[in-house]
Amino acid sequence: MYLLYSLKLAMQSIWREKWINLLSMLTIGAGLFMITLTFLIVYNMDLATKKLPEKFSMMLYLNEGVSEQDAENIAAGLKRNPAIERAKYISKDKALEELKGILKNSAYVLEGINENPLPASIEIKLNRKSIGVSSVKTLAADFKKIKGVEEVEYGERFLNSIHSIKTGVQTLSLVVIGIMSVGIIFVCYSTVKIMFYRRKEEIETFKLLGATKGFIRAPFVIEGSILGAFGGLVSAACMLAFHYALFYKLVPIMPILKIVVFPSEIFAALPLVGLVLGINGAIISIGKIRFY
Amino acid sequence: MIQFLNVTKFYESQAAIKNITLTIEKGELAFLTGPSGAGKSTLLKIIYLSERPDEGNVTIADWDLSKLKESSIPFLRRNIGVVFQDFRLLDNRNVFDNVAMTLRIQGALEDEVKERVMDILKIVNLRHKADSFPKALSGGEQQRVVIARAIVGEPTILLADEPTGNLDSDTASGISRLFKDINATGTTVLIATHNKELFRNTGRRVIRLDNGNITGEEIG
Repeated sequence: MYLLYSLKLAMQSIWREKWINLLSMLTIGAGLFMITLTFLIVYNMDLATKKLPEKFSMMLYLNEGVSEQDAENIAAGLKRNPAIERAKYISKDKALEELKGILKNSAYVLEGINENPLPASIEIKLNRKSIGVSSVKTLAADFKKIKGVEEVEYGERFLNSIHSIKTGVQTLSLVVIGIMSVGIIFVCYSTVKIMFYRRKEEIETFKLLGATKGFIRAPFVIEGSILGAFGGLVSAACMLAFHYALFYKLVPIMPILKIVVFPSEIFAALPLVGLVLGINGAIISIGKIRFY
Repeated sequence: MIQFLNVTKFYESQAAIKNITLTIEKGELAFLTGPSGAGKSTLLKIIYLSERPDEGNVTIADWDLSKLKESSIPFLRRNIGVVFQDFRLLDNRNVFDNVAMTLRIQGALEDEVKERVMDILKIVNLRHKADSFPKALSGGEQQRVVIARAIVGEPTILLADEPTGNLDSDTASGISRLFKDINATGTTVLIATHNKELFRNTGRRVIRLDNGNITGEEIG
Protein backbone atom coordinates (compact mmCIF):
# COMPACT_ATOMS: atom_id res chain seq x y z
CA MET A 1 0.00 0.00 0.00
CA TYR A 2 2.78 2.38 0.92
CA LEU A 3 4.22 2.06 -2.59
CA LEU A 4 1.28 4.07 -3.91
CA TYR A 5 1.90 6.69 -1.27
CA SER A 6 5.65 6.63 -2.06
CA LEU A 7 4.83 7.17 -5.73
CA LYS A 8 2.70 10.17 -4.74
CA LEU A 9 5.57 11.57 -2.61
CA ALA A 10 8.03 11.05 -5.48
CA MET A 11 5.74 12.82 -7.96
CA GLN A 12 5.24 15.70 -5.54
CA SER A 13 9.00 16.01 -5.05
CA ILE A 14 9.64 15.96 -8.81
CA TRP A 15 7.03 18.64 -9.36
CA ARG A 16 8.32 20.78 -6.47
CA GLU A 17 11.87 20.74 -7.86
CA LYS A 18 10.87 20.58 -11.50
CA TRP A 19 13.75 22.62 -12.90
CA ILE A 20 16.50 20.60 -11.20
CA ASN A 21 14.75 17.41 -12.26
CA LEU A 22 14.27 18.58 -15.83
CA LEU A 23 17.95 19.46 -16.06
CA SER A 24 18.89 16.06 -14.66
CA MET A 25 16.65 14.27 -17.17
CA LEU A 26 18.21 16.19 -20.08
CA THR A 27 21.73 15.43 -18.80
CA ILE A 28 20.88 11.75 -18.43
CA GLY A 29 19.33 11.82 -21.92
CA ALA A 30 22.52 13.33 -23.40
CA GLY A 31 24.68 10.76 -21.61
CA LEU A 32 22.56 7.86 -22.79
CA PHE A 33 22.60 9.25 -26.34
CA MET A 34 26.42 9.22 -26.27
CA ILE A 35 26.43 5.67 -24.89
CA THR A 36 24.07 4.53 -27.65
CA LEU A 37 26.18 6.14 -30.38
CA THR A 38 29.25 4.37 -29.02
CA PHE A 39 27.31 1.13 -28.84
CA LEU A 40 26.22 1.52 -32.46
CA ILE A 41 29.84 1.95 -33.59
CA VAL A 42 30.93 -1.19 -31.71
CA TYR A 43 27.89 -3.13 -32.89
CA ASN A 44 28.51 -2.31 -36.54
CA MET A 45 32.22 -2.96 -36.20
CA ASP A 46 31.47 -6.35 -34.67
CA LEU A 47 29.05 -7.21 -37.46
CA ALA A 48 31.66 -6.27 -40.07
CA THR A 49 34.38 -8.40 -38.47
CA LYS A 50 31.99 -11.33 -38.10
CA LYS A 51 31.67 -11.40 -41.89
CA LEU A 52 35.47 -11.64 -42.22
CA PRO A 53 35.73 -15.46 -41.92
CA GLU A 54 33.65 -15.88 -45.10
CA LYS A 55 36.44 -14.18 -47.03
CA PHE A 56 39.45 -15.40 -45.09
CA SER A 57 41.53 -18.28 -46.51
CA MET A 58 45.05 -19.71 -46.16
CA MET A 59 47.14 -20.92 -49.08
CA LEU A 60 49.57 -23.81 -48.69
CA TYR A 61 52.00 -23.76 -51.67
CA LEU A 62 53.46 -27.16 -52.39
CA ASN A 63 56.98 -28.21 -53.47
CA GLU A 64 57.63 -28.84 -57.14
CA GLY A 65 58.09 -32.57 -56.65
CA VAL A 66 54.82 -33.32 -54.87
CA SER A 67 52.63 -35.65 -56.92
CA GLU A 68 48.94 -35.10 -57.40
CA GLN A 69 48.21 -38.16 -55.21
CA ASP A 70 50.43 -36.86 -52.40
CA ALA A 71 48.78 -33.44 -52.64
CA GLU A 72 45.29 -35.03 -52.38
CA ASN A 73 46.53 -37.01 -49.35
CA ILE A 74 47.77 -33.82 -47.70
CA ALA A 75 44.39 -32.16 -48.38
CA ALA A 76 42.52 -35.18 -46.97
CA GLY A 77 44.74 -35.09 -43.84
CA LEU A 78 44.04 -31.41 -43.39
CA LYS A 79 40.29 -31.97 -43.62
CA ARG A 80 40.51 -34.11 -40.47
CA ASN A 81 41.77 -31.07 -38.50
CA PRO A 82 38.81 -29.67 -36.51
CA ALA A 83 40.00 -26.12 -37.15
CA ILE A 84 39.55 -26.57 -40.91
CA GLU A 85 36.20 -26.30 -42.60
CA ARG A 86 37.37 -26.94 -46.18
CA ALA A 87 40.66 -27.88 -47.89
CA LYS A 88 40.75 -27.75 -51.67
CA TYR A 89 43.66 -28.93 -53.82
CA ILE A 90 44.51 -26.62 -56.74
CA SER A 91 46.86 -28.17 -59.31
CA LYS A 92 49.44 -26.15 -61.27
CA ASP A 93 47.22 -26.32 -64.36
CA LYS A 94 44.12 -25.27 -62.48
CA ALA A 95 46.05 -22.36 -60.94
CA LEU A 96 47.17 -21.19 -64.40
CA GLU A 97 43.66 -21.55 -65.71
CA GLU A 98 42.33 -19.42 -62.84
CA LEU A 99 45.04 -16.81 -63.47
CA LYS A 100 44.14 -16.67 -67.13
CA GLY A 101 40.52 -16.16 -66.16
CA ILE A 102 41.55 -13.26 -63.92
CA LEU A 103 43.82 -11.72 -66.59
CA LYS A 104 41.52 -12.26 -69.54
CA ASN A 105 41.70 -8.59 -70.48
CA SER A 106 45.48 -8.47 -70.01
CA ALA A 107 46.39 -11.85 -71.52
CA TYR A 108 49.56 -10.38 -72.99
CA VAL A 109 51.13 -10.56 -69.53
CA LEU A 110 51.36 -14.32 -69.92
CA GLU A 111 52.66 -14.22 -73.50
CA GLY A 112 56.13 -15.71 -73.89
CA ILE A 113 55.82 -17.88 -70.78
CA ASN A 114 56.26 -21.42 -72.02
CA GLU A 115 56.38 -23.23 -68.73
CA ASN A 116 53.72 -22.97 -66.02
CA PRO A 117 55.47 -20.99 -63.24
CA LEU A 118 52.67 -21.40 -60.71
CA PRO A 119 52.99 -23.92 -57.87
CA ALA A 120 50.31 -26.39 -56.92
CA SER A 121 48.53 -25.37 -53.75
CA ILE A 122 45.88 -26.24 -51.19
CA GLU A 123 43.33 -23.57 -50.30
CA ILE A 124 42.08 -23.79 -46.73
CA LYS A 125 38.97 -22.26 -45.22
CA LEU A 126 39.06 -22.18 -41.43
CA ASN A 127 36.19 -22.52 -39.00
CA ARG A 128 34.80 -19.21 -37.71
CA LYS A 129 36.07 -20.00 -34.19
CA SER A 130 39.61 -20.72 -35.38
CA ILE A 131 40.13 -17.34 -37.00
CA GLY A 132 42.20 -15.39 -34.51
CA VAL A 133 45.61 -13.79 -34.75
CA SER A 134 47.41 -16.29 -32.53
CA SER A 135 45.47 -19.40 -33.60
CA VAL A 136 46.04 -18.69 -37.30
CA LYS A 137 49.73 -18.09 -36.63
CA THR A 138 50.02 -21.45 -34.81
CA LEU A 139 48.12 -23.25 -37.57
CA ALA A 140 50.36 -21.67 -40.23
CA ALA A 141 53.45 -22.86 -38.37
CA ASP A 142 51.98 -26.38 -38.09
CA PHE A 143 51.07 -26.47 -41.78
CA LYS A 144 54.57 -25.41 -42.74
CA LYS A 145 55.93 -28.53 -41.04
CA ILE A 146 53.89 -30.81 -43.31
CA LYS A 147 56.12 -32.67 -45.74
CA GLY A 148 55.66 -31.26 -49.24
CA VAL A 149 54.49 -27.80 -48.10
CA GLU A 150 56.91 -25.11 -49.18
CA GLU A 151 55.16 -21.94 -48.13
CA VAL A 152 52.08 -20.92 -46.16
CA GLU A 153 50.44 -17.64 -46.98
CA TYR A 154 47.60 -15.79 -45.33
CA GLY A 155 46.77 -12.12 -44.81
CA GLU A 156 48.83 -11.84 -41.64
CA ARG A 157 49.10 -8.07 -41.70
CA PHE A 158 45.45 -7.70 -42.68
CA LEU A 159 44.39 -10.00 -39.84
CA ASN A 160 46.62 -8.13 -37.37
CA SER A 161 45.23 -4.75 -38.46
CA ILE A 162 41.62 -5.87 -38.19
CA HIS A 163 42.32 -7.40 -34.79
CA SER A 164 44.06 -4.23 -33.54
CA ILE A 165 41.29 -1.96 -34.80
CA LYS A 166 38.60 -4.18 -33.28
CA THR A 167 40.37 -4.39 -29.93
CA GLY A 168 41.08 -0.64 -29.94
CA VAL A 169 37.51 0.32 -30.73
CA GLN A 170 36.13 -2.13 -28.18
CA THR A 171 38.42 -0.85 -25.43
CA LEU A 172 37.70 2.78 -26.23
CA SER A 173 33.98 2.07 -26.34
CA LEU A 174 34.06 0.27 -23.02
CA VAL A 175 35.88 3.25 -21.50
CA VAL A 176 33.37 5.72 -23.00
CA ILE A 177 30.36 3.62 -21.96
CA GLY A 178 31.85 3.13 -18.48
CA ILE A 179 32.54 6.84 -17.98
CA MET A 180 29.14 7.89 -19.31
CA SER A 181 27.34 5.31 -17.15
CA VAL A 182 29.18 6.49 -14.04
CA GLY A 183 28.29 10.06 -15.10
CA ILE A 184 24.59 9.19 -15.34
CA ILE A 185 24.64 7.43 -11.98
CA PHE A 186 26.36 10.52 -10.54
CA VAL A 187 23.67 12.85 -11.96
CA CYS A 188 20.93 10.71 -10.37
CA TYR A 189 22.99 10.46 -7.18
CA SER A 190 23.40 14.25 -6.92
CA THR A 191 19.78 15.03 -7.73
CA VAL A 192 18.40 12.51 -5.24
CA LYS A 193 20.96 13.65 -2.64
CA ILE A 194 19.73 17.24 -2.97
CA MET A 195 16.13 16.05 -2.50
CA PHE A 196 17.21 13.90 0.42
CA TYR A 197 18.87 16.84 2.21
CA ARG A 198 15.93 19.13 1.52
CA ARG A 199 13.65 16.60 3.16
CA LYS A 200 16.00 15.65 5.98
CA GLU A 201 13.71 16.98 8.73
CA GLU A 202 10.71 15.28 7.21
CA ILE A 203 12.66 11.99 7.07
CA GLU A 204 13.62 12.35 10.74
CA THR A 205 9.94 12.80 11.61
CA PHE A 206 9.02 9.76 9.50
CA LYS A 207 11.58 7.71 11.43
CA LEU A 208 10.20 8.82 14.79
CA LEU A 209 6.66 7.94 13.68
CA GLY A 210 7.77 4.37 12.94
CA ALA A 211 8.70 4.44 9.26
CA THR A 212 10.77 1.49 8.06
CA LYS A 213 13.89 1.93 5.92
CA GLY A 214 11.86 0.75 2.93
CA PHE A 215 9.21 3.43 3.49
CA ILE A 216 11.90 6.14 3.69
CA ARG A 217 13.86 4.89 0.69
CA ALA A 218 10.97 4.10 -1.65
CA PRO A 219 10.07 7.69 -2.76
CA PHE A 220 13.72 8.45 -3.54
CA VAL A 221 14.25 5.22 -5.45
CA ILE A 222 11.05 5.90 -7.40
CA GLU A 223 12.25 9.45 -8.07
CA GLY A 224 15.63 8.18 -9.29
CA SER A 225 13.98 5.60 -11.52
CA ILE A 226 11.61 8.21 -13.00
CA LEU A 227 14.56 10.54 -13.69
CA GLY A 228 16.50 7.69 -15.33
CA ALA A 229 13.56 6.38 -17.35
CA PHE A 230 12.59 9.84 -18.62
CA GLY A 231 16.25 10.54 -19.41
CA GLY A 232 16.12 7.30 -21.41
CA LEU A 233 13.01 8.51 -23.23
CA VAL A 234 14.78 11.80 -24.06
CA SER A 235 17.73 9.86 -25.51
CA ALA A 236 15.35 7.54 -27.41
CA ALA A 237 13.74 10.62 -28.98
CA CYS A 238 17.20 11.94 -29.92
CA MET A 239 18.08 8.53 -31.37
CA LEU A 240 14.90 8.57 -33.43
CA ALA A 241 15.91 11.97 -34.83
CA PHE A 242 19.43 10.64 -35.50
CA HIS A 243 17.97 7.56 -37.25
CA TYR A 244 15.81 9.80 -39.44
CA ALA A 245 18.74 12.10 -40.28
CA LEU A 246 21.03 9.17 -41.07
CA PHE A 247 18.73 7.12 -43.30
CA TYR A 248 16.55 9.79 -44.87
CA LYS A 249 18.94 12.75 -45.17
CA LEU A 250 22.51 11.38 -45.24
CA VAL A 251 22.09 8.07 -47.11
CA PRO A 252 20.93 9.76 -50.34
CA ILE A 253 24.10 11.88 -50.22
CA MET A 254 26.45 9.12 -48.97
CA PRO A 255 25.02 5.72 -50.03
CA ILE A 256 27.80 3.87 -48.17
CA LEU A 257 26.01 4.71 -44.92
CA LYS A 258 23.30 2.29 -46.02
CA ILE A 259 25.41 -0.52 -44.51
CA VAL A 260 24.93 0.88 -41.01
CA VAL A 261 22.77 -1.51 -38.98
CA PHE A 262 20.45 0.21 -36.50
CA PRO A 263 18.76 -2.31 -34.17
CA SER A 264 15.25 -1.10 -33.30
CA GLU A 265 15.48 -2.70 -29.83
CA ILE A 266 17.56 0.34 -28.85
CA PHE A 267 14.43 2.47 -28.55
CA ALA A 268 12.88 0.12 -26.00
CA ALA A 269 16.16 -0.53 -24.19
CA LEU A 270 17.04 3.12 -23.54
CA PRO A 271 14.31 3.90 -20.96
CA LEU A 272 15.09 0.58 -19.26
CA VAL A 273 18.83 1.31 -19.11
CA GLY A 274 18.00 4.80 -17.77
CA LEU A 275 15.71 3.27 -15.17
CA VAL A 276 18.38 0.85 -13.93
CA LEU A 277 21.06 3.57 -13.78
CA GLY A 278 18.60 5.92 -12.03
CA ILE A 279 17.73 3.33 -9.38
CA ASN A 280 21.44 2.67 -8.79
CA GLY A 281 22.17 6.38 -8.39
CA ALA A 282 19.28 6.79 -5.94
CA ILE A 283 20.26 3.77 -3.83
CA ILE A 284 23.87 4.95 -3.60
CA SER A 285 22.82 8.49 -2.66
CA ILE A 286 20.46 7.44 0.16
CA GLY A 287 23.16 5.23 1.65
CA LYS A 288 22.64 3.63 5.02
CA ILE A 289 19.66 4.74 7.11
CA ARG A 290 20.22 4.77 10.86
CA PHE A 291 17.48 4.97 13.45
CA TYR A 292 19.65 6.29 16.30
CA MET B 1 5.06 -1.22 30.80
CA ILE B 2 8.18 0.99 31.00
CA GLN B 3 11.13 -0.05 33.14
CA PHE B 4 14.44 1.76 33.64
CA LEU B 5 17.15 -0.09 35.55
CA ASN B 6 20.24 1.91 36.57
CA VAL B 7 20.12 3.91 33.33
CA THR B 8 22.73 6.57 32.60
CA LYS B 9 23.07 8.71 29.48
CA PHE B 10 26.05 10.93 28.74
CA TYR B 11 26.30 13.86 26.35
CA GLU B 12 30.00 14.56 25.73
CA SER B 13 31.04 13.13 29.11
CA GLN B 14 28.28 15.11 30.88
CA ALA B 15 25.60 12.81 32.34
CA ALA B 16 22.10 13.92 31.29
CA ILE B 17 20.50 11.23 33.46
CA LYS B 18 22.32 9.29 36.15
CA ASN B 19 21.62 5.77 37.35
CA ILE B 20 17.85 6.10 36.96
CA THR B 21 15.64 3.24 38.12
CA LEU B 22 11.98 3.77 37.36
CA THR B 23 8.84 1.80 36.54
CA ILE B 24 5.71 3.11 34.83
CA GLU B 25 2.84 0.65 35.08
CA LYS B 26 0.56 -0.31 32.22
CA GLY B 27 -2.37 2.10 31.95
CA GLU B 28 -0.75 4.62 34.30
CA LEU B 29 -0.76 8.39 33.75
CA ALA B 30 2.39 9.84 35.30
CA PHE B 31 4.24 13.13 35.20
CA LEU B 32 7.96 13.88 35.03
CA THR B 33 8.81 17.27 36.37
CA GLY B 34 11.85 19.32 37.15
CA PRO B 35 13.74 22.38 35.95
CA SER B 36 15.20 22.77 32.46
CA GLY B 37 18.16 20.43 31.96
CA ALA B 38 16.90 18.01 34.61
CA GLY B 39 16.89 15.15 32.09
CA LYS B 40 13.13 14.89 31.38
CA SER B 41 13.47 15.05 27.59
CA THR B 42 16.44 12.65 27.59
CA LEU B 43 14.41 10.13 29.52
CA LEU B 44 11.57 10.37 26.99
CA LYS B 45 14.02 10.17 24.07
CA ILE B 46 15.38 6.90 25.45
CA ILE B 47 11.83 5.53 25.60
CA TYR B 48 11.05 6.42 22.00
CA LEU B 49 14.51 5.23 20.94
CA SER B 50 15.84 8.52 19.71
CA GLU B 51 18.72 8.06 22.16
CA ARG B 52 20.48 4.98 23.44
CA PRO B 53 21.39 4.62 27.12
CA ASP B 54 25.12 4.38 27.81
CA GLU B 55 24.59 2.28 30.92
CA GLY B 56 21.74 0.26 32.40
CA ASN B 57 18.79 -1.48 30.89
CA VAL B 58 15.43 -0.30 29.53
CA THR B 59 12.41 -2.54 28.92
CA ILE B 60 9.32 -1.30 27.11
CA ALA B 61 6.29 -3.56 26.86
CA ASP B 62 8.47 -6.68 27.08
CA TRP B 63 10.96 -5.34 24.52
CA ASP B 64 14.45 -5.30 26.00
CA LEU B 65 16.01 -2.29 24.26
CA SER B 66 19.57 -3.57 24.68
CA LYS B 67 18.67 -6.66 22.64
CA LEU B 68 16.46 -4.88 20.13
CA LYS B 69 17.58 -5.19 16.48
CA GLU B 70 17.74 -1.92 14.54
CA SER B 71 15.23 -3.27 12.04
CA SER B 72 12.67 -3.73 14.87
CA ILE B 73 12.88 -0.09 16.02
CA PRO B 74 10.15 1.19 13.64
CA PHE B 75 7.72 -1.45 14.89
CA LEU B 76 8.34 -0.54 18.53
CA ARG B 77 7.98 3.16 17.70
CA ARG B 78 4.54 2.47 16.22
CA ASN B 79 3.44 1.47 19.71
CA ILE B 80 4.62 4.77 21.15
CA GLY B 81 2.86 8.03 20.32
CA VAL B 82 4.98 11.10 20.93
CA VAL B 83 3.97 14.72 21.43
CA PHE B 84 7.24 16.43 20.59
CA GLN B 85 8.29 19.62 22.33
CA ASP B 86 9.10 21.20 18.95
CA PHE B 87 5.92 19.70 17.38
CA ARG B 88 7.74 18.31 14.29
CA LEU B 89 4.79 19.17 12.05
CA LEU B 90 5.44 19.14 8.32
CA ASP B 91 4.77 22.67 7.08
CA ASN B 92 4.19 21.61 3.47
CA ARG B 93 1.34 19.28 4.43
CA ASN B 94 -2.09 20.17 5.74
CA VAL B 95 -3.49 19.08 9.09
CA PHE B 96 -5.14 16.00 7.59
CA ASP B 97 -1.93 14.80 5.94
CA ASN B 98 0.16 15.49 9.05
CA VAL B 99 -2.13 13.30 11.14
CA ALA B 100 -2.56 10.72 8.38
CA MET B 101 1.22 10.30 8.18
CA THR B 102 1.23 7.95 11.20
CA LEU B 103 -1.32 5.64 9.59
CA ARG B 104 0.26 5.74 6.14
CA ILE B 105 3.60 4.77 7.65
CA GLN B 106 1.82 1.79 9.23
CA GLY B 107 0.47 0.83 5.82
CA ALA B 108 -3.22 1.57 6.47
CA LEU B 109 -5.58 1.66 3.50
CA GLU B 110 -6.60 5.11 2.33
CA ASP B 111 -10.30 4.65 3.22
CA GLU B 112 -9.34 3.66 6.73
CA VAL B 113 -6.91 6.59 6.93
CA LYS B 114 -9.65 9.03 5.96
CA GLU B 115 -12.11 7.67 8.49
CA ARG B 116 -9.72 7.46 11.43
CA VAL B 117 -8.09 10.82 10.84
CA MET B 118 -11.45 12.58 10.69
CA ASP B 119 -12.55 10.81 13.88
CA ILE B 120 -9.40 11.88 15.71
CA LEU B 121 -9.65 15.45 14.42
CA LYS B 122 -13.17 15.51 15.84
CA ILE B 123 -11.85 14.40 19.24
CA VAL B 124 -9.25 17.21 19.28
CA ASN B 125 -11.85 19.60 17.88
CA LEU B 126 -9.94 20.38 14.69
CA ARG B 127 -12.14 18.79 12.05
CA HIS B 128 -12.86 22.21 10.53
CA LYS B 129 -9.10 22.80 10.16
CA ALA B 130 -8.34 19.59 8.26
CA ASP B 131 -7.30 21.48 5.13
CA SER B 132 -5.31 24.18 6.94
CA PHE B 133 -1.53 24.22 6.99
CA PRO B 134 0.36 24.26 10.32
CA LYS B 135 1.66 27.82 9.83
CA ALA B 136 -1.95 29.06 9.70
CA LEU B 137 -2.79 27.52 13.12
CA SER B 138 -2.41 28.93 16.63
CA GLY B 139 0.03 27.31 19.09
CA GLY B 140 -2.80 25.46 20.85
CA GLU B 141 -4.18 24.18 17.56
CA GLN B 142 -0.75 23.00 16.45
CA GLN B 143 -0.36 21.22 19.78
CA ARG B 144 -3.68 19.44 19.25
CA VAL B 145 -2.60 18.37 15.75
CA VAL B 146 0.53 16.85 17.27
CA ILE B 147 -1.58 15.03 19.86
CA ALA B 148 -3.91 13.80 17.13
CA ARG B 149 -0.93 12.51 15.15
CA ALA B 150 0.42 10.78 18.26
CA ILE B 151 -2.82 8.96 19.13
CA VAL B 152 -4.28 8.19 15.71
CA GLY B 153 -2.23 4.97 15.48
CA GLU B 154 -3.73 3.82 18.82
CA PRO B 155 -0.38 3.42 20.60
CA THR B 156 -0.07 1.60 23.90
CA ILE B 157 2.17 4.35 25.26
CA LEU B 158 1.80 8.11 24.83
CA LEU B 159 4.73 10.39 25.66
CA ALA B 160 4.39 14.16 25.81
CA ASP B 161 7.33 16.53 26.14
CA GLU B 162 6.26 19.91 27.55
CA PRO B 163 2.83 19.68 25.90
CA THR B 164 1.58 22.95 27.35
CA GLY B 165 4.69 25.06 26.92
CA ASN B 166 3.80 28.53 25.59
CA LEU B 167 0.06 27.84 25.82
CA ASP B 168 -2.45 29.94 27.77
CA SER B 169 -4.02 28.34 30.83
CA ASP B 170 -7.41 27.64 29.17
CA THR B 171 -5.78 25.84 26.26
CA ALA B 172 -3.44 24.02 28.66
CA SER B 173 -6.33 22.71 30.75
CA GLY B 174 -8.09 21.56 27.57
CA ILE B 175 -4.97 19.64 26.57
CA SER B 176 -4.72 18.20 30.08
CA ARG B 177 -8.30 16.91 29.84
CA LEU B 178 -7.43 15.35 26.50
CA PHE B 179 -4.57 13.37 28.06
CA LYS B 180 -6.85 12.12 30.82
CA ASP B 181 -9.38 10.97 28.22
CA ILE B 182 -6.67 9.18 26.26
CA ASN B 183 -5.44 7.52 29.45
CA ALA B 184 -9.01 6.45 30.24
CA THR B 185 -8.94 4.29 27.11
CA GLY B 186 -6.09 2.25 28.63
CA THR B 187 -3.13 4.04 27.07
CA THR B 188 -0.10 4.51 29.32
CA VAL B 189 0.67 8.24 29.40
CA LEU B 190 3.92 9.86 30.53
CA ILE B 191 4.09 13.64 30.45
CA ALA B 192 7.27 15.66 30.95
CA THR B 193 6.42 19.15 32.13
CA HIS B 194 7.55 21.95 34.37
CA ASN B 195 4.01 23.33 34.45
CA LYS B 196 2.76 22.49 37.94
CA GLU B 197 -0.81 23.36 36.97
CA LEU B 198 -0.85 20.37 34.69
CA PHE B 199 -0.49 17.80 37.51
CA ARG B 200 -1.88 19.69 40.49
CA ASN B 201 -4.84 17.87 42.05
CA THR B 202 -4.78 15.12 39.45
CA GLY B 203 -4.16 12.34 41.98
CA ARG B 204 -1.49 11.00 39.64
CA ARG B 205 2.15 10.09 40.28
CA VAL B 206 4.62 12.95 39.81
CA ILE B 207 8.31 12.02 39.49
CA ARG B 208 10.76 14.80 40.27
CA LEU B 209 14.02 14.98 38.35
CA ASP B 210 16.92 17.30 39.03
CA ASN B 211 20.35 17.31 37.45
CA GLY B 212 19.77 13.87 35.96
CA ASN B 213 18.67 12.23 39.22
CA ILE B 214 15.25 11.25 40.56
CA THR B 215 14.90 13.45 43.61
CA GLY B 216 11.45 12.39 44.69
CA GLU B 217 7.98 11.13 43.90
CA GLU B 218 4.60 12.45 45.03
CA ILE B 219 0.94 12.31 44.17
CA GLY B 220 -0.21 15.41 42.32
